[in-house]
Amino acid sequence: MSDDFESQLRAALRPVAPSDDFTPKIMARIAAKRRLARRAWWIPASLAASLLIAIGAQRHVQESRERENGMEARREVVEALRLTSQKLNLAYEVVKSQSGV
Amino acid sequence: MRHRYVGIFFALLAPALACAAPNPRLTLPEFSSLAKKATESVTITLDPALLAMAARFLDASNPQDAAARDVIKGLQGIYVRSYTFDEDFAYREADIDLVRNQLSAPGWNRLVETRSRKTHANVDIYIMVDNNQAIGLALIASEPRQFTIVNIIGAIDLDKLHKLEGQFGVPKLDIDLPKAAAPNPPK
Repeated sequence: MSDDFESQLRAALRPVAPSDDFTPKIMARIAAKRRLARRAWWIPASLAASLLIAIGAQRHVQESRERENGMEARREVVEALRLTSQKLNLAYEVVKSQSGV
Repeated sequence: MRHRYVGIFFALLAPALACAAPNPRLTLPEFSSLAKKATESVTITLDPALLAMAARFLDASNPQDAAARDVIKGLQGIYVRSYTFDEDFAYREADIDLVRNQLSAPGWNRLVETRSRKTHANVDIYIMVDNNQAIGLALIASEPRQFTIVNIIGAIDLDKLHKLEGQFGVPKLDIDLPKAAAPNPPK
């Protein structure tokens, strides 16, 4: 019984020579893992860069829109004051002509 | 329970106070029929937020901008409607009356009324005063081919309008302002 077990163990643990493609397979796996590691570094970096670009672009659009609105408001203020002054001038001219100044 | 009564009291008081306070904001009609007939129409609606925004974009180093910035400081609104026509009296007197009627409300004082038989240019300037401070200005100018309404809300300093002379073509008005309308003298 014990002889039988020993012989089975020996047979199971006998040295086996690796196949011919063992080394290339291992090397290919190592290379693939390296490539993956390299790619894994680029993915978050490119995502962060894209996010920064998107935030920057949005901010630029927002700023230019704000500037556009501000310039429009400025133009309206100037136009409103110009019209008001023009009409005050008109009143003044009428008063002046009637009083003979 | 007591807090609830206080709350109800103030809730009832608030609209009453709002009614009592003079309101210098005019309800300007749509004037859509005038806008259709007009060759040029100007509609300016500047609320406090837009005035604040405009002030940020007025260049302090530019004399015209600096003067405008000084004038709009303390203003809460500027509302302008102006229509230019290619024929005489294309608008109806009733259009003007829609606004003029509002100026008979308490608080408004007519500062200037000009009627020119020669040019048919009529200008009415009204001012609303509260606590010796001008809080509103209304200007109605009707000319044969132009009809303009200006409503300015806020602490209007007429002296500053005088100082605009040369900037926007505002003349120095040789008109005595009512004492109430004059800005508070510096202490």
